[in-house]
Amino acid sequence: MNPLRVWRVLRKDLALGPRSPFFLWAVAIPVVATVLLQVVFGGLFAPKPRLGIVDDGASEVAVAYQAMDGIAVTMVADEPELKRLVEQHRFDAGLVLPAGFDDAVRSGAKPPLRFFLSGGSLASNRIVLAVTTIDLVRAVEGSAPPVDVQMEILGAADWLPLSARMVPLLVMFSLMIAGMFLPATALVEEKERRTLSALLVTPVKLPEVLAAKALLGILLALVMGLVTLLLNNALGGDVGTLLLAMVVAALMSAEVGLLYGVVSRDMKALFALFKGLNIFLLAPVVFYLFPEWPQWIPKVLPTYWIINPIFDVAVKGAGLGSVWIQLMIALAICVVLAVAIVSLTRRLERTLAAG
Amino acid sequence: MTGMQPPIQAQDIRYAYGELEAVKGISFEVGPGEILGFLGPNGAGKSTTIKVLTGQLSPCSGRALILGRSVHEHSAEVQALIGVCFEEKNLYLNMSVKENLDFFARLFSLKHFDAMPLLRRVGLADRAKDRAKNLSKGMKQRLMMARALVNSPSVLFLDEPTDGLDPISSQAIRQVIREEAARGAAVLLTTHDMLEADALSQRVAFINEGRIVALDTPESLKLAHGKRSVKMRMHGTQGVREVVVALDEADAGDKLRAAVADEGLMTIHTEEATLEAIFIKLTGRRLEG
Repeated sequence: MNPLRVWRVLRKDLALGPRSPFFLWAVAIPVVATVLLQVVFGGLFAPKPRLGIVDDGASEVAVAYQAMDGIAVTMVADEPELKRLVEQHRFDAGLVLPAGFDDAVRSGAKPPLRFFLSGGSLASNRIVLAVTTIDLVRAVEGSAPPVDVQMEILGAADWLPLSARMVPLLVMFSLMIAGMFLPATALVEEKERRTLSALLVTPVKLPEVLAAKALLGILLALVMGLVTLLLNNALGGDVGTLLLAMVVAALMSAEVGLLYGVVSRDMKALFALFKGLNIFLLAPVVFYLFPEWPQWIPKVLPTYWIINPIFDVAVKGAGLGSVWIQLMIALAICVVLAVAIVSLTRRLERTLAAG
Repeated sequence: MTGMQPPIQAQDIRYAYGELEAVKGISFEVGPGEILGFLGPNGAGKSTTIKVLTGQLSPCSGRALILGRSVHEHSAEVQALIGVCFEEKNLYLNMSVKENLDFFARLFSLKHFDAMPLLRRVGLADRAKDRAKNLSKGMKQRLMMARALVNSPSVLFLDEPTDGLDPISSQAIRQVIREEAARGAAVLLTTHDMLEADALSQRVAFINEGRIVALDTPESLKLAHGKRSVKMRMHGTQGVREVVVALDEADAGDKLRAAVADEGLMTIHTEEATLEAIFIKLTGRRLEG
């Protein structure tokens, strides 16, 4: 196999990509699906509460607010400016901390605390900011809350919000469209239009064409998978392990796509194959949405071994030590797929030559 | 490679699709600058022979040699030296005309390839930036021809290059074929068009049921299988009549002179056989079938 010839065919596929409806579909669909699901279930466009603060006396309340991830804090120079910005709905609320506020609170005095609310702010944001402000003032005062709040976690301790459980579905969708569908359609299109025959009377060999299609799938699956994770704010802690899991997932996806392409005579057959088999390949992600279902079932499906390591690393923050066995199983499946592709490639060569 | 060897050598090639033996021991050679017309009905074994010679199929037995190299032992090397023009228009339709040629030039590792001279030769220079899908059938075929010439091949395989084209496109392609042969390329031309084969080919091979049934120059085949006779239509007192004079007869000259002198002579036709008539005579089949 000549890498230069593989690159030349890949370069052609990449250049032709934006002119192909399949390519555009593969790129657009995962992004559109992510955005739609995020809009429906919340997440992507759920804004953080925005608070403007005028701090005339280096208050601990302002420092504590600035240390919070969940609230977008902006320091403002003076009260009139703050009021103007709140009126313009640039902030959900504005807080004025006068000079000597902390000392006055600690001494037991009741200093004035001006808290402006924007008429256009969400009720949920108003409540979050008001309650947080009261909590922080109590912390400055050093007094215990007037009630003893007893917190108890009900249900599974590792319960994840729906938005997090949607991540496998979205990533799998990206892998399927970009990693499986694109190389498969690229190959079947070459067969249908007979351009493959034209390639094979040049120095290019069939395995080189297939390698180019596989690389196309791997590259796109990797990019679209990472974009999907990024859009879902699920890049986890260990970026290296996440990348490794994504590469293995992209590899398996591209191999499945190549298999589809090799065995499909035309687009009609390819779509039939996609509709018939992808139900099984997509099935593991349903078990993340319904964690009460028996969790051994998805383990019998090959795609579980690529999607679960991604989920563990990207969503649960696991490291390589926790997912390496899963990755090894995924790689073993990739080897089996590669053997199947090599075997079917010989059959394809004979079929193409026979016309 | 031996310099003296013909560019195309088929040596007792046999190929079978399962139980069906498509090629049954075909042997021929094509010399440099020669155009060999490869004629036969559908299913005769033409395409299979070309696929073996271009490295798409491995023969069951026999040898295919291009410029002295075994096609199946050195396929990549051989495929760098050949050009193939397919019957079906298998272009990259979403690429421009020029991009189609540039891509194939890259596959042949041509570093300083300029598509424009080639496009001028086939009359497509002004359509260089157009997508291939927007070309007419004739233009697509001319682009196919240009693509086959990207690597300045020493051996050209042309499968029905003018099939179904308008006269202008056909003429343009025939001119390119003549130019390539004049350059020294060996050309194996598959066609159903007997007149085209007659006009372009130095030799023609008739293939039927996997075997070559005749291989010679068109003139020799016509002499060997045609009638040496002249047919004349004469107008006389009893209406129009036909007179046939066999040229091998001893008094043929006298008969012809008498006929020409006759005021009732209307038309004179030679009865030279056409390639198609010879093919039918040899195989009992028509070419289209």
